[in-house]
Amino acid sequence: METVRLLEEHEFPQELQKYFEGTKTWFGIDYLPKMSKVISYAPEFANTHGRCSRRAMVDGDLTRAQKEMIAVAVSAVNACEY
Amino acid sequence: MGYGDDAYWYEAAYVYGVTNGINAVADGLRLPLENSDTPARKPLIMPIEFEEASDRVKDTYSDIMTFYQSEQIPAIFKTLAHDDGYLKDYWGAVRFVFSDGRLDRLTKETLAFTASMAAKSDYGVDFHLTEARRLGLSEKGVMEAVQVVQLFSCYTKMADGLQLSPDFDPMGVT
Repeated sequence: METVRLLEEHEFPQELQKYFEGTKTWFGIDYLPKMSKVISYAPEFANTHGRCSRRAMVDGDLTRAQKEMIAVAVSAVNACEY
Repeated sequence: MGYGDDAYWYEAAYVYGVTNGINAVADGLRLPLENSDTPARKPLIMPIEFEEASDRVKDTYSDIMTFYQSEQIPAIFKTLAHDDGYLKDYWGAVRFVFSDGRLDRLTKETLAFTASMAAKSDYGVDFHLTEARRLGLSEKGVMEAVQVVQLFSCYTKMADGLQLSPDFDPMGVT
């Protein structure tokens, strides 16, 4: 059970809606992940950290799939279920 | 390229699992780093050098040197050599896990590097970064891996702190 109330999509500023649509497209889902809601609670954090994420996770010398696998390894080492 | 087949994820789990096991022993026993030019740590259990090893251990050492294309035997294996049977089997597992499979060897070493960084293992970061570079990981690739570790070390801590439950069943995503 979350220790904070996660805002619904419509409660966020309009300026973030385009970012939300991009996030859903990126993951191929029709809802906003909880972590996106956490990050977006402070739009300034969403803009800066979110850009870092998008920049880091696209195909580069490592593929997106390899990067997702690294993310899983990091989550496993940190014993994070989310 | 995607990783839709379970075989990729089993292999990845073997890699970060074995890496975590090795790092726990190597850092726990303060084994000296293999490659970095830092003040050497004094190991709490003395490694067995090639010259003083039994013939059985020497056979394993030779296989290790061939695998890593190095005349240096990593201290972790020289430490495990105090039980030659355990060393032989453990090395067999490590060699299997880090050999080309569905995931190639470079991807596995890159995963081990990032798992080591996430676990804050000096020994593991030193060893696996050197090995990944030897196998061809570019400096741009190194930085990309570093960025993913940094971002997801952040996300996992926030998720734990706020006790977020997973968004979706990973089995439903291909």
